[in-house]
Amino acid sequence: MGPRFAGLRAGSGRHRPPLLVYRWDLDKTYLRTEFDTVRQLLRVPFEGPEDKVDVPGVVELIRALKPCAEAGGRTARIYFLSASPPQIGKVIRAKLALDAVPLDGIVFKNQLHYLVRGKFNKLREQVGFKLAELFRSRHALPADAEEVLFGDDGESDAITYSVYADTLARRIDLGELRAVLSRVRVDSRVAEEVLTLASTVTPADAVRKIFVNLDRRTPPVSFHRLGERVVPTFNYLQTAAVLHTDGYIDLAAVVRVARSLVEGAGYTAERLANSLADLGRRGHLGAAGERTIRAQLAQAGLLPPSFRDRRGERWRLRAREGLRLLRGRFRRLRAEVTRPEPVDYQVVLDDFEDARRLRRAE
Amino acid sequence: MPTIAVDAAGGDHAPEAVVRGVAQASLETGIQCLLVGEEDRIQAILDRATYNPELISIVHTREKIGMDEDPRLAFRAKRDPSILVAAQLVADGKADALVSAGNTGACVLACARTFHVIPGIRRTALASVYPRQVRHPGQDPLAIVLDVGATIRCEPIELVQFALMGSAYARRISKIAAPRVGLLNMGREETKGGEVLVEAHRRLRSIEGLNFVGNIEGNDLATGEADVIVCEGLVGNAILKMVEGLADVFRNVTEAGARGSLRWRLGLALLGAPLRRLRQLTDYTRYGGAPILGFDRVFIKCHGRSGESAIRNAVKVAAKAVRDEVPREIAQAVAEMA
Repeated sequence: MGPRFAGLRAGSGRHRPPLLVYRWDLDKTYLRTEFDTVRQLLRVPFEGPEDKVDVPGVVELIRALKPCAEAGGRTARIYFLSASPPQIGKVIRAKLALDAVPLDGIVFKNQLHYLVRGKFNKLREQVGFKLAELFRSRHALPADAEEVLFGDDGESDAITYSVYADTLARRIDLGELRAVLSRVRVDSRVAEEVLTLASTVTPADAVRKIFVNLDRRTPPVSFHRLGERVVPTFNYLQTAAVLHTDGYIDLAAVVRVARSLVEGAGYTAERLANSLADLGRRGHLGAAGERTIRAQLAQAGLLPPSFRDRRGERWRLRAREGLRLLRGRFRRLRAEVTRPEPVDYQVVLDDFEDARRLRRAE
Repeated sequence: MPTIAVDAAGGDHAPEAVVRGVAQASLETGIQCLLVGEEDRIQAILDRATYNPELISIVHTREKIGMDEDPRLAFRAKRDPSILVAAQLVADGKADALVSAGNTGACVLACARTFHVIPGIRRTALASVYPRQVRHPGQDPLAIVLDVGATIRCEPIELVQFALMGSAYARRISKIAAPRVGLLNMGREETKGGEVLVEAHRRLRSIEGLNFVGNIEGNDLATGEADVIVCEGLVGNAILKMVEGLADVFRNVTEAGARGSLRWRLGLALLGAPLRRLRQLTDYTRYGGAPILGFDRVFIKCHGRSGESAIRNAVKVAAKAVRDEVPREIAQAVAEMA
């Protein structure tokens, strides 16, 4: 197996490589659903599968996940987790089939339960619902299964996934989990369910990466407190680039994603190149990885070769890579001496609420 | 969509306001921007902003020319100041226009070193927009005055060329079919103002196709008498600074009055909306900048104190000037006159 498949080598040398689980949020991560207004919300149930529009590049990316895992000798499963009501399940399944996206499971939120109990304010609550479903699903997986999670910045996916990852790894205890659930006003019945599921799940440091699709263009700094595991991306070329450097997909898949952006969403060579450069500057893509992907995109005719020849760029990239490696070594050294700083979710939630207030004010 | 090179290190509030302005433009338009400046600092600001990375790239340079530096000395001492790198990107065809809020002298010098002056143009002119009374619906609330500092004294032919350049710019950017061009003077009579202005007036009057409205006086500037005001750099700069000063005085007086008296506060509250409109109109930090005319490339110079909205508007103005081919329009007007 080549070095490109570093992420997929996680199980090499063992009898059975660990199962790889990709979990996807649906709205604004896979689908470009617009439900910011009541009118848009009311239109959703009447849409057919052909009316549903996917986020550019996401279909090609998901399609690549299983074959690439299999090429690395691993089994991958793809699950969807949506806070949409189950009534639209049939349409969603038809849409996924239309896109030829492989699917191992999909869970919807039972809104009827809250409607019957008159808890209308819980209809939009997602943290409790998603945590419960994540833990429930985890119970059914082998203890060594690894997970990569995909969400968006529309709700609270980054926090939900991070809390899940840290609870699973026992980096936060049940008391802290309870405090988080209480802070985000999760329904008491759901909160108890989450706590029970979390307390009985087999501990594992299983979540490798959390990708956040910046549908609302939330400033990337908003996710810094959640650590390096959380990768905010502006488009699926950026997501594909990180997945490639982590060894989950091959270069051909990255090219397919880029091509779909060009052909399906009118991306220009500049927009592709700028996306990769932005990812590099934000520290999610090394200089070598950036060079390799650019070269491959140039070879595929998606980038002109001149993009590799900008004035002084090579030296700048080398310097940046050197700094990145130094920082990485320093972090590892620090991690060996002291345990890595745990995420302070109360502070994260403070920031989250501030940002939401600011957005509303704007 | 055009690509605009933006000097991220130029301006009193750079790089924060410049980068944030470009970030805003990236969300509202499809304009590609090349931010020229310190990569790490620019990215740190972007990280805290709402932006579209697909439309922004960064060209790294550490050097910059300060607002108070002597441009000639600075160019001698520094190899790659941001304004020069940005201008070079435009000259090399990697960008279509340049935007900067930096040191005006350095900007003019950077353009002079890298761009070509349009054939037939004797001297380039720094233009500026200023608010004026709108006389009919749909009229541009901003008029253009040039030159405001690229020259000190001028020959009559240079003033004539300024008129042609300003008229071409107003035709393209303000979409005025026949912009009214006025020559700033101390009286309306064509014999006033000394040799240079008398000769300039005579030549301007003789140009067919130019909507020359004759001499205009200082009190006509704000009444919307003309869409393009032509004057020497020394005079234009004095006017510009006086208008800015008046805006500051107006703000200070109203604020001081409101602090000291309840009646003032009540009066200002009642006049809230018109006063806000007046304040917006006279707030130069909100304007999108104005061009240096006469080069074969588009350069939009923003006020040194420009905030993020001014930079955003300047990027839009620059893109519009590129799309509407302002340099070509000027070249054509000058060629026709010749």
